[in-house]
Amino acid sequence: MSTTAPVRERTEEHDEITDPDIPWIVIVWNDPINLMSYVVFVFQKLFGYSKEKATGLMLDVHHKGKAVVSSGPREKAEFDVFRLHGHGLWATMQKDR
Amino acid sequence: MAGAFKRAGGRVRVRLSPQEAAVLRNLPDQLRGVLTAEQLPGGQPDPVTARLFPPAYRDAGDREREEEYHTLVHDDLLNARLANLDLMAGSLARGSVSMRRWTVDLSEEEAMAWLGVLNDLRLALGVRLGIEEDFDGRVDESDPSAPAMNLLAYLGWLEELLVETLSA
Repeated sequence: MSTTAPVRERTEEHDEITDPDIPWIVIVWNDPINLMSYVVFVFQKLFGYSKEKATGLMLDVHHKGKAVVSSGPREKAEFDVFRLHGHGLWATMQKDR
Repeated sequence: MAGAFKRAGGRVRVRLSPQEAAVLRNLPDQLRGVLTAEQLPGGQPDPVTARLFPPAYRDAGDREREEEYHTLVHDDLLNARLANLDLMAGSLARGSVSMRRWTVDLSEEEAMAWLGVLNDLRLALGVRLGIEEDFDGRVDESDPSAPAMNLLAYLGWLEELLVETLSA
């Protein structure tokens, strides 16, 4: 992601947001253009996440290259991917494994 | 330059130099051309299209589902982007210059359209410029692509301010 603004250190872990019983996960991948602030804004807008949670996910995308941002049945995952694509984020979905 | 966007009642006020407004006015039509052509002049698939309409499924085993997804959403994604372009072009045409500042008031819907278009423009420019590393806005002025890089940096600056305004 593009860094045009200073970023605060992450304050909590965000790795455990998928339920192991739920079969599909939505992944957002890092890209060199989307602004960090924009990605946080989109996560908050689409998923209703708090600023802290959205920021943590954005930092995972930025530092680890990807983050699981939602999960659920295939139709829900597809809808989330569709909305992320509509906002220019590079998102894919796959069966959780 | 500072503070291009400001909340004013239920609207977002844009204040730019007339030169900046003139630069922006050219952009929606250019992006519309790229989005509706979907091909490069030689008939090759356009990588900008691939970036703005990416696959949902990465696994080779999900190819049928990917085709289904593409068929299902492509027109909706395209039409939403074209609607954003219309909203932005309309507000750019509506703005007026006074005291050497160009000003227009945006509805919430128009402000979101600006955000979408600014982001799409930057994604398209990033693909055209072959940017693969994080772009920090610094431009080497001796580079032949410096004008496009400067535009990318400018649009990033503007988008950052708009996100800030809409997040507040």
